[in-house]
Amino acid sequence: MSKELRFLVVDDFSTMRRIVRNLLKESGFVDADEAEDGVVALQKLRSSNFDFVVSDINMPNMNGFQLLGEIKKDEKLKHLPVLMVTAEARKEDIVLAAQQGAAGYIVKPFTKATLEDKVNHILTKMGLK
Amino acid sequence: MSTESTPATTAMSSADVHQQLGALTRQLHDSLTGLGLAAKVKDWAGELPDAKSRLSYIARLTGEAAEKVLNSVDQAKAQHDHIAAETRRIGALIVQDPVAAVAKGHVMNFINDVEQASRQVDGHLTEIMMAQDFHDLTGQVIARVVNLAATIEDQLVQLLIQTAPPDTAVKAPVTHEPYVPALDGPVVNAKDNPDVVSNQSEVDDLLASLGF
Repeated sequence: MSKELRFLVVDDFSTMRRIVRNLLKESGFVDADEAEDGVVALQKLRSSNFDFVVSDINMPNMNGFQLLGEIKKDEKLKHLPVLMVTAEARKEDIVLAAQQGAAGYIVKPFTKATLEDKVNHILTKMGLK
Repeated sequence: MSTESTPATTAMSSADVHQQLGALTRQLHDSLTGLGLAAKVKDWAGELPDAKSRLSYIARLTGEAAEKVLNSVDQAKAQHDHIAAETRRIGALIVQDPVAAVAKGHVMNFINDVEQASRQVDGHLTEIMMAQDFHDLTGQVIARVVNLAATIEDQLVQLLIQTAPPDTAVKAPVTHEPYVPALDGPVVNAKDNPDVVSNQSEVDDLLASLGF
């Protein structure tokens, strides 16, 4: 059941992590953890079970593209859907994210409806809902 | 000793100062060129208007966020006032005649009213929460402007060190590299840039056109 899915929210700004977590909660996805960059995210993904990653791109230490690359290289993690939520609005970045295997791409600022739609669309596509 | 100056000495001083300023400007120009910094100064000149538009973006975004929060608070407060007034009214009706209050549907209407208002207030609270995204967006832009200021400061300090007279010891200050996002960050002027998208539907259209 989709409501029991576990999310990892990755963003270097704590305000944005809280906003995304609260929005997920309002949409019924109450189980969510957070990470402030790609390095911490990868540690958490490798040490615990998650079903969905919502990640920013522009972050210190390891950015969202690098995190996406690491996830897709890892046999145990590559099945995870990764939704990019970012202020990066260059067309080449959007295309690059899709080519690297991102499940979706949201540009900031975004609305509650956009996040909800994208998450549900990805879950339906993956047969998780 | 008198500090007063005559018009003649003032005029001489002005000319002198003007001449000295000219000499300093020439010296600075020669130093910058000699040290290969002229190109960097040109870069700074190019980046300053960009910094200006980034600062305008911050002012606009924070202004919009404040406006959005205040509007949502106004609407939520109006709904809260309405519920408070309705609670007092239904309370009085129940005290007056509890059976009639229920039988005439006053209580049920009140319950529906509260439920609807709660949903609307919840929507306003979500709006207030979403308005806080300016922290992330402006934070990224501020990091870029701070980096520009730090770069200019650093280059000026280097210039000072390299042009200081031999008997003047100038030590370079310890600088800490701020985190500078490697990517572009928020788009400040989307409409003037065909390489970027300006909203979510453009992202969706782009991905759909590529078969994603």
